This record gives sequence, C-alpha cells and structure tokens, in this order.
Amino acid sequence: MSAATAAAGALQVLGGVLLAPGIAGTIQTLKARLQGRRGPSPVQPYRELRRLWGKSGVTPEPRTFVYSLAPALVAASTAIAVLLIPIGSVAPDWGVGHDALVLVGLLALARFALALAAWDTGSAFALMGAARDLMLSVFVEVALLLVLLLLALPAGSTDLISMSRAAAAPSAWSAPSHWVAAVAFCVIALAEIGRQPIDNPDTHLELTMIHEGPLLEYAGRDLAYLQWAAAARHWIVIALASDLLLPHPGSFLAQAAALAGGAALLVTALATLETVQAKMRLLRVPALIGSVALLCLLGLASWFAGGVR
Amino acid sequence: MDFGEILALAGALATAGGTVAGALGAPSRASLRVQAIGAVALGAAGAYVLASGEAIGAAFHSGVQPALGLDPLSGLFLLTIALVAAPAALFAGETLGEGGQARALAATTGTFVLSLAGFVAARDLSTLLAFWELMTLIPSLAIIIYRRDAEARRGVFAYLAITHIGGAGAWIALLLLAAHGALGGAHLGGALAAPVALAALIGFSTKAGLMPFHSWLPRAHPLAPAHMSALMSGAMIKLPLYALIRVLFEWSAPPGLWVGVTLMAVGALSCLGGVLYALMQHELKRLLAFHSIENVGIVALGLGASLVLRDLGEPAWSALAFAAALLHTLNHALFKSLLFLGAGAFHRMVGALELDRLGGLLRRMPWTGGAFALGALAIAGLPPLNGFASEWLTLQSLLHLGTTGGAGISLSGALATAALAATAALAAYCFAKVVGLVLLGAPRRSECAAATEAPMAMRIAMSFLALACIALGVLPGLLAPTLASLGPTHAALPSGVSLTTPSSGSLPTLGLVLALLALTALLLRLARRPRAAAAPAWACGQAPAPHLAWTSAGFTKPLRLALVVLLRPRREVATVTEGGVIQRIRYSNEVPHLFDTLMYAPVSRAALRWAAAARRLQSGSVRAYLIYLLALLALLLALLQAGVLG
Repeated sequence: MSAATAAAGALQVLGGVLLAPGIAGTIQTLKARLQGRRGPSPVQPYRELRRLWGKSGVTPEPRTFVYSLAPALVAASTAIAVLLIPIGSVAPDWGVGHDALVLVGLLALARFALALAAWDTGSAFALMGAARDLMLSVFVEVALLLVLLLLALPAGSTDLISMSRAAAAPSAWSAPSHWVAAVAFCVIALAEIGRQPIDNPDTHLELTMIHEGPLLEYAGRDLAYLQWAAAARHWIVIALASDLLLPHPGSFLAQAAALAGGAALLVTALATLETVQAKMRLLRVPALIGSVALLCLLGLASWFAGGVR
Repeated sequence: MDFGEILALAGALATAGGTVAGALGAPSRASLRVQAIGAVALGAAGAYVLASGEAIGAAFHSGVQPALGLDPLSGLFLLTIALVAAPAALFAGETLGEGGQARALAATTGTFVLSLAGFVAARDLSTLLAFWELMTLIPSLAIIIYRRDAEARRGVFAYLAITHIGGAGAWIALLLLAAHGALGGAHLGGALAAPVALAALIGFSTKAGLMPFHSWLPRAHPLAPAHMSALMSGAMIKLPLYALIRVLFEWSAPPGLWVGVTLMAVGALSCLGGVLYALMQHELKRLLAFHSIENVGIVALGLGASLVLRDLGEPAWSALAFAAALLHTLNHALFKSLLFLGAGAFHRMVGALELDRLGGLLRRMPWTGGAFALGALAIAGLPPLNGFASEWLTLQSLLHLGTTGGAGISLSGALATAALAATAALAAYCFAKVVGLVLLGAPRRSECAAATEAPMAMRIAMSFLALACIALGVLPGLLAPTLASLGPTHAALPSGVSLTTPSSGSLPTLGLVLALLALTALLLRLARRPRAAAAPAWACGQAPAPHLAWTSAGFTKPLRLALVVLLRPRREVATVTEGGVIQRIRYSNEVPHLFDTLMYAPVSRAALRWAAAARRLQSGSVRAYLIYLLALLALLLALLQAGVLG
C-alpha cells in the first residue's frame, strides 16, 4: 500500500468518524454568527456525544429487538458508506468496494431501520417523521440516481474512484451536464442531511420535523449513534461533492486540500442558506425535487446533443 | 439414461404419485409430502441441467408430436418452480387439514406443479399449448374448491376472461412461429417478425401480470389458499417470461429496437404502478399481489434492456442485463413465496389479514415473523439481501444504457433508471409499513395477542426460503455468470463471489455482509449499558390505546398527498348533527384502481352490451341454427371461390 493510499484511508476514518460532528457544529456556530447571535461552540456536538455516551438507555414497552438493533444498524451502515467514498480518487480497499449504488442502498437501509424502530415503539411523532422521510426518499432517490447517471457519463462507470478521476480536471466543467449535476446535487444534499429549506435540524416542533422524529424515543448510547450518523451524513455529502463535482487535480496532497476547501465552501454555503431561506412547506418539496430530476434529464440530453465537450 | 433424465422422471413420477394418491383418498398431508419430495427431485434435475450446460431429452421441433426435454434455460425455470413448490407443498400439508376439500386441494396442487414443470419441459407446439392452458385453468379450480362465495366466483371469472382474451396473443405468436418452422429451427425473420413480437408481448405480458394487462392478478392471487398464491406469484407468472425469452431471443430474428424499448416501457409502468397501488392497499395478500406486478416489471426492465443492448452491439452488457432479469426472477420466486407463506401462517393463526387489525406478531411468532421480516427486507431491495443484488445488476445495465446509447436510447435508459429508483424507494416504504403493522408494535386484536408459533413443517418451509434469500444475497456472484451465459450473446461474465460488471464497478456482496454484521455486532455490544426500567412510549400523557395507533392509510398519507394528481384518492366525511351537537362522524377513503375504472370498466360494459345484442341470435329454434350453418357454408364456399382462402 502506498503512502497516499494509507493517508487516504486514515483521512476517511478520521474525517468520517471524528471530524463529522465538528462539521455540523461549525455550521451551527457560523449560522448563529450570521444571525447576530453568539451561538454554541463548534465543539458542542462532541460535548453532547460525550454526555450521551455516559447515560443509560431507555426501553419502551412493548418492544422487540428491532428497537435496540436499529441505532447500531444505522451507525454501521453509515460507517460503511463513509468507507465507500474515496479521498480525491484515492482510497484503500476495505473489501466493501466503492460503488455509488451501494452507497444509495446503505443510506436506504439506515432509513428503513429507523422506520421499523418507529413502528416498534408505536410513537406517533416517530411515525410521523418516518412516514415523511420515506415519502421524501422516493423523490430524492430518483433525483440522486439521475445525478449519478450524469456524473457517470464521462467515466462510464458508477465506481466512485473512476468517477472522481473523470471529474478531476477543471475541463469537466465544460460539459453542461456537469453544471446541471452540481445544481441538482446541492438540492438532494439538503434533503439527505435534513437541512433547511427541506428540514430544520434545530426544531423539535413535532408538526414540522422529519429526521428528528424517529430519534425522539432514544437516549444514551443509542441516541449517540443516531446523532453521529446524522453528522456523518454531512461528511458523506461533502466528500462526495468534492470528489465528483469540484476540480481536484494533481497529487494526493492537492486532492486532500481540495477536499478541505470544498468542505469549507459547503459549510459556509449551508450556514448562509439556512440564514436566508425559511423552511418550505412539506408538500412543496416533492415539486422542488421533481423539477431537479427534470433538469437532470435536460442535462443528459445536452450531453448527447454534443454539448461543449 | 442420463442422470438428469432419471432425476426429472423420478421427480415427475413422485409428484404425480402424490397427486393421484391424494385424489384417490390418501391423507392430504402424506400426499403433499410426497409431492414435496417429487419437487425436490425436479429441482435437482433442473439444477443438474443448468450446471452441466447440456440439454437432455428431446430438442425443440415445430411439429405436434409430443416431446419433452430440458435445456439449461428450462433447467433454471424448473429449479425456480421447485424452489417454490417444495416448501409450498410442505407448508400446505399443515394448513389444509384433512377432509374432502383438503384432498381435492392437495391433488390440485400436484397437478399445478406438474403443469408448470410440463410447460418448461415442453419441446413441441402441442405440449407447449396444452400445458399453457392447463396452468391457467388449474389455479381457478383451486380457488373454486377453496372458496365458494360470490367474490371468489367474480375473481375467477375476471382471471379467466382477461388471461384468455390477452392470452390469444400467445397462441397467435406460437402458431405463427410453428407454421414457419421456427421452434428449434431457423429464426423467424422478415415481415412476420414484428407481428409475432407484438402478439407475444401482448399474450405473454397478460399472463405475467404486466401493466396494463394486470387487472386479473390482484383479484385472483388473494383468493387462493396461501401455498397456491405462493405458487402462482412465485412460479406461474414467471413462465410467460420464459416463453417471452424463447420467442424474442431465440425463435425470431430481432425485429427492431422498438421491441426492447416497448418491453422496458411496459416494465417501467408495471413496476411503478404495481408498487404505488401496493402501497395503497390495506389487506396483506392483496398488497403482496400488487408487488408481484412490480417485480415482474423489474424483470421486464432487465429483459428489455438486454434486447436493446444486444441490438446496439454490446454483447457483454446484454448478457449482464439478461442475467439481472433471470436473477431477479429467481429472487422474486424465493421472497414472494416466503411472504405469501408467511401471510398464510398469520391467517391460520389470527384470521383476517386487514393490516390495521394485526400487530405484535414478531414476539408471538418469532420464527414465522423473523422469516417474514427477512423476506420483506429482500423484496424492499435493501442490502445485503438478494433483492438488492438483482436490482443492482438491473440498475447497472439501465445506467449503462443511459450513459452509452444514442440520445433517444439514453433518455429511455435514464427514464427506466428513474422508474427503478422510485420503485425501490416505494417498495422500502411499503414494507416498512407492512412489517410495522404486522410484526411490530402492540397487538391490535385479541387473536394477535394470543397467537402461537406455527408447527415445525411450516417453520422449515419458511426458514428454507429465508435462508435461500440470504444465500443469494451473499453469494450472487456464483450464479450470475451461469445465468449470463444463457443469454442471447452467450458472453462470459467474470466469475467470483462478487458481482462484477464489464466496465462499471462491482458489488462485493460478501465483504458488505461481513462488514455490516461485524460493525453492528460491535456497536450493539458497546450499547449494552444499564438501561432504565421499561416504560410505555410517551404519548403526551395519554395511555397508549390500539385504536389511536397509526394505520396503514395514515402512514402512507404523505405520499397520497404528494401524488394526489396521479392517484386521485376519494375521501368522504359525513357528520351527523343533532341539536347543534355532533353525534357521529363517518370517515371513509379509498384510492380507486384507475386501470379498473378508466380502462377495464368501459371495455367490459361495451362487451356486455354486445353480448346482449348477440344473444338475440340464440333463438332456441332448430331451424334458425340450420340457417346459420347454411349461411356459414355459403360464405365459406363464396370465399373459396373468390380465392381468399388460398
């Protein structure tokens, strides 16, 4: 294994597991500053995880093993999803491949496990969130697959390493399909990490929440797993965006730097967006994602119409 | 005599023996167990032929002299039939009980399995058509024996009417092919290839339950006893696809890209429509029947992609799409029959299968519930089970179509990709609902609270199918290259434990399973901390009550609202007010099946009108009938004279 591969592997684990909560925390801090508040420190998510790690879990009655299995399964599938995504176009072989469709499948598995846990407790709020999440996932998965199709065009492959190589040169931006994919990816990313205008991570108002709903019944280490998984989805989205959309030519160091730059850019963009944009009505979201999917089809047409390649 | 022939003969004889014994009055359980053993032997014969790659028995010919034989493709379908039939027969031995009705059903089951096996082994026109009709008729017999109410009679009538009107296409296609010697001879090409393809598409997709010819399927499947539903959904509706493969891939020359694109369009419509209407159902067996439409649609997507890729000159990818379709056929047979058998086990224990009136069965029936949950994960297309593996392969071939075809083809590939992505997400949505309402939460009826585990034979049947789902999810790479080699291009895929595509990444199933298991186990272990005493979930201070629990309609409401234009749900709220005080509120809602109300209802109304008009011909007078005969004779003579009859 070359040094670059080892470093990439270390960065995957460190970034996905350790940095991810910090990214979510930084967004919160930055957002508070933009809104003229002092806000929590960027390390607040770590403090919360430490607090939860020391607390005892709760068990509702009646329940089955599904309730206790779900947080571990969510965290495990999210962790494997983190390992699928290369740093730049370099990654060690963890034995789980680097396929983009597997990534989609693992995220779906986590969503399914949480929905089952919601049914297991029978809690009204948990099920409300789960039903909304599954409804949105129908539209999000369509748009996500179309974005992956657009990004797979230059490489002709859904292997993330090949896709990342094909998107490395700045010339990738000369194809209109790449622009379309970038716009569409940003919208899908908002849905996937549960951010405004699609979901509001700060609220626990039961009538509006989506992703927070199924977490309500959990406490202790179970809740820590779920909160880490929510933070790790930020990392997944940022790493995917900088691999597949942002230019990252040259050596591994340059690629890692591009990743850091991409992360900074996206954190700023998310904080700004959350400051200026209110949450959408739930039933408007399918229309938004649907129009993004149509945009992707236009992007595909432009690729085959010759485009500026 | 070849080893495969001995196995096949022994299997057929044992199944027939069990059937005849049942018909003659042997206990139905014994009769069904003998049938199960026969099915195992038949499956072994299929597996043997598939593995050896050598055909046994007769070869195809276009004549009418009866001939039977197996080649690897038939072997695969025979194996699929057997994988459903053996557990189904074992299961039925426990659920049917004893008595005249049970013996009749046992004999029907054996005959059905034999007719299914006969269809894949048929090697000439007459045998093919005979078994084709037999496998349509026997399920209706089983339904009529099992239930004698008006609903069953109506369902059976719709089933027979639709499959026979649509199935005429199958006759037209096969007769045209045989008339030109294309069964086992030279490809049928030229001007006839297009009409044959069209007739085959209509005829076989009607029987396979593809939309828009599907309307019989959600009526007929829920009526049958559980093991028959499993056989119908798992095995019967796959055989029209087998016939479609023979006609479109082997017996006729490619009539053009439109055939593959049409098949993809029909597949996309079926998988989306099937899963959407499944999501709106509130009865378990009817819901599962709609999912059969969805899964047959996924197989059709794969077959259509394979045809298009073949015509575009991409042999390796065409073989991959073909392997995806066959793998999904096998996978669907496994998990759908598992789910139907599970539904049968629940039905046996608690009666009606209204989703809102079940609940909590996983704790009462851990084996049945666990197997059912595995089947649900598999059909929802979630990693690491077998449904994900075959949907991954199908998606890869559709994405390849989307990235490399010309502008039009790539757009259809992208649309098919989008349809399959939506289908997978909707299926996950639907089975989150099913598992939640059936297995989890608090029991919503006293029967559910008092349910006990199913007997050993039923548990064995369901556990076997669940294990097969796991095995094909973990090691699909061992089977996929064999399936690809059966395709039109006979291209070789890289073999190994993982699924690998020619140029677009791979799916290391084994690594994924191990990683998921290890990480989940580790995290579970770490979370085993002292826990607070168990208490009911917080419901804003109210005591949890079954009638306040979430319902099937409630869970799917967000989607119903988002797709209100497409689904057009009907909703009625009637309030009864007395003296200014609301006394009662009656609420009802339903999602009408638009294919029935907009497409089938007008057609059947017109058909009934025409039938009423035609009834006037039946005067009952002998003289009138003699005049009809004379008129027909004169007409035929006139046509002969004019040279129209050749």
